[in-house]
Amino acid sequence: MSTQLRRSPDPKASVDSAAPSMQWWLVLAGTVLLIAGSFLSWSFTPAILGNVTITGLPAPLQIFTIVIGVLGLFLLLLRMGRFHHISTLLDSARGLRALGVTATAYLVLVVLVIALQAPGLANADPGVFVCLVGAGLMVAGSLRMPSDPTVDPISVHLPSWAEILVIVALMALVLFGAAYALGQEDGTVFSLFLLFLSGVVVALQRAGLFGWIGVIAARNRRVITLGAFVVAFLFPLTQDGSDANMSIATQVLIFATTALGLNIVVGLAGLLDLGYIAFLGAGAYVSAMMSHSAFANIGWKPPFLVVVLIAATVSSVLGLIIGSPTLRVSGDYLAIVTLAFGEIFRLTVNNLDGNNGPDLTNGPNGIPGVPELEFGSFKFGDTHEIFGITLGRFANYYFLLLVVAALIITIFTRLNNSRIGRGWIAIREDEKAAEAMGVNVFGLKLFAFAGGAFLAGMAGSIKAHQDVSVTPDQYIFLESAFLLAAIVLGGMGTVAGVLVGATVLKLLPEKLRFVADYRLLTFGLLLVLMMRFRPEGLVPSGRRALEFHEDDERLAAKVEESHIEKVTPTGGRT
Amino acid sequence: MDLFLQQLLNGLTLGSLYALIAVGYTVVYGIVQLINFAHGEVFMIGAFGALATWTVLFKGQTGLWVLPFMVLGAVLVSVLVAVVMERVAYRPLRHAPRLAPLITAIGISVFLQEAVRLWYPGAKSALPFPQIDLVTGAAFQVGGITVRRSALFVIGSLVVCAVVLWFFINRTKMGRGMLAVSQDPDTARLMGINVDRIIMVAFAIGAALAGIAGVAQGLQNSNIDFYMGFLAGLKAFTAAVLGGIGNIYGAVVGGLVLGIVEAMAVQFIPGTFGGSPWKDVWAFALLIIVLVFRPQGIMGARVVDRA
Repeated sequence: MSTQLRRSPDPKASVDSAAPSMQWWLVLAGTVLLIAGSFLSWSFTPAILGNVTITGLPAPLQIFTIVIGVLGLFLLLLRMGRFHHISTLLDSARGLRALGVTATAYLVLVVLVIALQAPGLANADPGVFVCLVGAGLMVAGSLRMPSDPTVDPISVHLPSWAEILVIVALMALVLFGAAYALGQEDGTVFSLFLLFLSGVVVALQRAGLFGWIGVIAARNRRVITLGAFVVAFLFPLTQDGSDANMSIATQVLIFATTALGLNIVVGLAGLLDLGYIAFLGAGAYVSAMMSHSAFANIGWKPPFLVVVLIAATVSSVLGLIIGSPTLRVSGDYLAIVTLAFGEIFRLTVNNLDGNNGPDLTNGPNGIPGVPELEFGSFKFGDTHEIFGITLGRFANYYFLLLVVAALIITIFTRLNNSRIGRGWIAIREDEKAAEAMGVNVFGLKLFAFAGGAFLAGMAGSIKAHQDVSVTPDQYIFLESAFLLAAIVLGGMGTVAGVLVGATVLKLLPEKLRFVADYRLLTFGLLLVLMMRFRPEGLVPSGRRALEFHEDDERLAAKVEESHIEKVTPTGGRT
Repeated sequence: MDLFLQQLLNGLTLGSLYALIAVGYTVVYGIVQLINFAHGEVFMIGAFGALATWTVLFKGQTGLWVLPFMVLGAVLVSVLVAVVMERVAYRPLRHAPRLAPLITAIGISVFLQEAVRLWYPGAKSALPFPQIDLVTGAAFQVGGITVRRSALFVIGSLVVCAVVLWFFINRTKMGRGMLAVSQDPDTARLMGINVDRIIMVAFAIGAALAGIAGVAQGLQNSNIDFYMGFLAGLKAFTAAVLGGIGNIYGAVVGGLVLGIVEAMAVQFIPGTFGGSPWKDVWAFALLIIVLVFRPQGIMGARVVDRA
């Protein structure tokens, strides 16, 4: 991040515009070898790695290395002084270095996989070694390459149609990548794809592309929101009726929706809520108790929309009950009180089985057999056909949840930019100062708490129908911790961050079944490492990042600049 | 009356256990204003440390002479874990916003639980804790009350630990250093106190007591599992808050009060809301009530509000 702004004293001297240097040729040789090797056969055995045996017809795994090679060639061309506009924007040397390292790591892993799964290194064909040599050359060549001078992306302006085009292309890539990744059944291929993806992302980030994309994203916020929604909407159509991935996607969406609600409480208002899952549970239980399930103990069966409202209201009333006395105490205490509340909720629904207290929740067995939703004649349990593509049960819930997520995102962004949101941020930064400035501290905190509970209750009422049953052990403390981790991992207070965090946390364990036992261990370690090295999250809001890195003056200047840019959209054009 | 005294004894036993763990929360909070959420896990690891000591060195022995070695093993392991935790995870975050250490603590907590579950042989289910002559075995009757031997061990260790702790804090240089740092870390540093070392000692003291509590819990329950730190830690934190967090004697008093309340709730709350399924609910309800009406706790040392 910091090097985007680094300027060398004499820009001309460091770019080898006239005569390509020794390193340039080395990297060029490396990329050419990498691409050429990818067209050769990598292994004798067609059974592993998705068949990499055919010369001249690259398998997906080989296409990844070709992509790396092509990206490398592009960055090399930049160093020749072509594409003048872009070359001021990207630092090709750092990008090349990251690409080289990625390619090497990727190929070493491929060789290892061949050696272990084929089994035996004798099964490796020359192609893979050609590629490995190429990758090594890329690393060697780019190691001492001087950095390019780059300019601050905020001052680079393309025509707006070009910016939108970039966004659309990115979105399409995301959709394609997600569909591809989910389609992988083989854990090894999936892991290699992840390595490729993260390597390319890191390379592009090193090259400074994301700084620039962040700036265009900020400029075209509406386009990007709409685009993201369209991509999410199109996703089930790529699955062709397969329920396996849609079930994961639906779970991701429920998780993300809940995390977005929690993000209002934690990310915006800075109230650490460790019992948030209880509000989701309250919504789910109310919804289940009012459903037509045989174990539902409430006689009144209103239509679902009414149930949603009741469930959300019950949740937010619980939020008020727990919040109104405790919001007067300070942050740490609040965390513990909410934790205690979460435990009380779990124990209570676990106990209310008729033997201990009234029979409301059917005790530890929960309420099974919650019926599928129905809106008019549209039954969520059935499959439907759209444009010849079959959409299964999970796809129906997916669309419904998408609407809810969109609603919550809208509420979140509107609140974030409103008087209320600013009040919350003021409270988060310094409660006493905010109070002195006339912010209604208690009222706003309570509103955040009850509002967050309302959204969770809403999500919960759908979750009950989608899961078909509710049980107390779905609402344990660990789930609250997971929600919190999604927010922290992604970046507190940003929508994109929470979505990224939720997806990573729910998707990875599903796809990496072979490490399922180490899932929680990794999760714990990840939280500790994140707080240590990148406390602002993967997709931080600038303001938040600044809070964690108070001494970083460059970042401060950047945040300030981007604020000025937002206020006067035409200012700063050159 | 016998019923009442019996529950009082049960409550005191439970409360002593809470108190031993609660001291760890309160010592650390008093000095660095950090809720060491992973402290419950330190307690759990202490129990496993004792079990490991017994399994490796004294397998099959039941003599009382084994007990000191087990306690020593427990204390060593838990102190080591706590000190490493402080050094690696908490120290770099000392000036970070308050959310950061709390989330780190949750991360450590999950990590330690899983590490024990995955890597301690057989820890995926509950493990039997060794039986030691004199401290476990047949209970004896005093009047109409049944007294378990392990209960006496638990209460006894609290008394011994409290006395030693009092002596350490009031009579040694290091203890007075701790008092100074808890009052004003910056001034203490100017006075030549090594604040980093004091913080590490605070973690170590808490961990040592938690290790002893781990042994006590093992003897009392006769088996241990990787998940026992979570609830015990939560209860002990409740106890620390109840007594007034930051105040060491408060933690002891709070632990005893919480234990007694729980025991009484099991016995004397009438109707279907009494009994052991609800005792945790009453304990947490007590926490919420205390925080609402008397956030400074029973002993009342209100720590400066730094949130």
